[in-house]
Amino acid sequence: MTDLAIQLSGVSKKYRYFTLDKIDLELPRGQIMGLIGANGAGKSTTIRILMGLVHQDSGEARVLGHRMPAEQVAAKWDIGFASEDMRLYDSMTLAWHMNFIRSIYSGWDAAHAQLLLKRFGLRADQTIKGLSHGQRVKSALLLVLARKPKLLVLDEPTTGLDPVARHEILRELTDVMADEGRSILFSSHNTQDVEQISDRITFIDRGRIIDSMDKEAYLDRWRRLRLEVPSGIDLPALPGIIGVQQRGRLAVATANAFVPDLANAYERTGARVQHIEHMTLEEIFVANVEHSREEVKA
Amino acid sequence: MNRSIIGQLVLKDWRLNRVLISLTLAIGLVALLVTQFGGLARLIGIVWFFVALCILGSMLPGSVILNERKKQTLAFIMSLPVTSVQYSIAKMLSIWGLFLVPWLTLLISALVLIETRHVVPQGAVPMVLILAMLPLIGFCLISSTTLVGESEGWLVAASIVVNSSYWLGWFLLARIPSLSANWNRPAAVWNSTEIIVLCSELGAIAFIVAVTLFLQSRKRDFI
Amino acid sequence: MLYSFTLSQTDKRPMYLQIMEQIKQRIAVGDWVEGQPIPSIRQLAVDLQVSVITVKRAYYELEREGIIVTHHGKGSRVSATTGLRARLREQELQQHLERATRIAAELGMSPEELEDRLQEAGNQPAKKKGELV
Repeated sequence: MTDLAIQLSGVSKKYRYFTLDKIDLELPRGQIMGLIGANGAGKSTTIRILMGLVHQDSGEARVLGHRMPAEQVAAKWDIGFASEDMRLYDSMTLAWHMNFIRSIYSGWDAAHAQLLLKRFGLRADQTIKGLSHGQRVKSALLLVLARKPKLLVLDEPTTGLDPVARHEILRELTDVMADEGRSILFSSHNTQDVEQISDRITFIDRGRIIDSMDKEAYLDRWRRLRLEVPSGIDLPALPGIIGVQQRGRLAVATANAFVPDLANAYERTGARVQHIEHMTLEEIFVANVEHSREEVKA
Repeated sequence: MNRSIIGQLVLKDWRLNRVLISLTLAIGLVALLVTQFGGLARLIGIVWFFVALCILGSMLPGSVILNERKKQTLAFIMSLPVTSVQYSIAKMLSIWGLFLVPWLTLLISALVLIETRHVVPQGAVPMVLILAMLPLIGFCLISSTTLVGESEGWLVAASIVVNSSYWLGWFLLARIPSLSANWNRPAAVWNSTEIIVLCSELGAIAFIVAVTLFLQSRKRDFI
Repeated sequence: MLYSFTLSQTDKRPMYLQIMEQIKQRIAVGDWVEGQPIPSIRQLAVDLQVSVITVKRAYYELEREGIIVTHHGKGSRVSATTGLRARLREQELQQHLERATRIAAELGMSPEELEDRLQEAGNQPAKKKGELV
């Protein structure tokens, strides 16, 4: 039996101006998945569905083995959720929130909570109202991290944070990895974070999953080939190349299914391969989205 | 296990609305005080108290129910192991708790006055009870509408409709002969009409609550 | 113990390659000796704050190159083959030479000119070169 922390099959949800279309997504236990997409792509809706906060129109959602939304209470005992548009109670202190969570969950680790307070530079006796944005985000994260839940579901955990705060949070998320029974799903449009700590990457655009796979294998499929094209030579369309931009004698080919033979194929046509580069996840993101939108239009 | 979560949510609401609780207690106490004075003051006191109760009844749903959405804390609460129905139950319990404090104060002080000071004949007790149920039903309607409707618009609409219909309730009840007939009796007598009316009022509350929970359970986009 | 490698995000090479290189360097300079146990994949991932899968890949490639050995259930250690350090240094040299050749070609230098330049560099005083292996 596959041990999946999250399993979405054919999940669809229709809103007036937006449709989530047959989402398939799998996160094996013990792994970290980064969910990438432009604003409005459907990241938050997908996350809400797997938290049971929104009921899907069709398709099955299973989280930690529980069907959502029917078994959401059972699932939520073991899930720690934080989202960018979520707020804590302004008039209460962080300490009050900590006690509140502690009174509900038995897994609260007080020592760990104290450690996190120190690492995050937070004071428990401060009211939420007086905190900066970064401190609020860290407070919300502290509340879920100190419980040590089996699954962390985080919607934009590092958005809008200064580099130091981001670093602090990434450190905590990777610390979670030390326990191979715990999993994390986080959405972000900070591709650097996703590239750094995700085991799996899922791309979502306009309500559709474009790609969902192992990060290293995924990064390995993409290359930029810088070509020198003598005049009179037309570059052929090659399988695995999703786009070529040419200006004069210089061209850049973007490959999403790179094999070394592609370079040879170009050389055989008379073009010279100057350089083959890996692409950052950000470059892949943009190329991927543009390509998939063109495909849909066609 | 989840009953304790409902309890925690209720306590949380009461803790968050400490100011309102103090206010309602103050209203209750002032009402007690004012009714000590006789004559016109007593009447003014009771009317004023009733108006305050109506206002409170309209304010509470805003503060307790709507604020979760306005202040965006709903996601935090719903990420806890609760269903939307359990959440709704917790909301109703906390908001009722807050309302019942002044309401019970009014009722009890009215009954005590009737008993000790003979403000009105004791025959009026059933009628007093029946009349006192009206703001309770009204509050139930306003808070449930707000819970289901999720917006200030619904709260305002329900408040206007309910608060302007009390007179109608009194009017209709006063027209039932077997109710007003006993008003001047020296002792409280419960005839079947009074019992039926009282039970219908309780039934109305139960019905409103049931419909509310049903509608809440049917919501597919809770957040 | 924290294994602090410095991984550059602006370095265009994939992270797993950077990790591999830094492990090789550790071995090459003698920080990690042959036969020495190295951190588990998960432990290194946590310390470096990178995904487990990236470290897994690095270890996989290192094992393929015979630089580390993983025993199921016992963790990984540096290969006990003799001459590993020297081999790694050789690899490093080869990489440098290939790079030099490429740059020379871009500059339009002839192989003879490159040889001359290499001799020149060899004649530089030793103190400029830092540590000698």
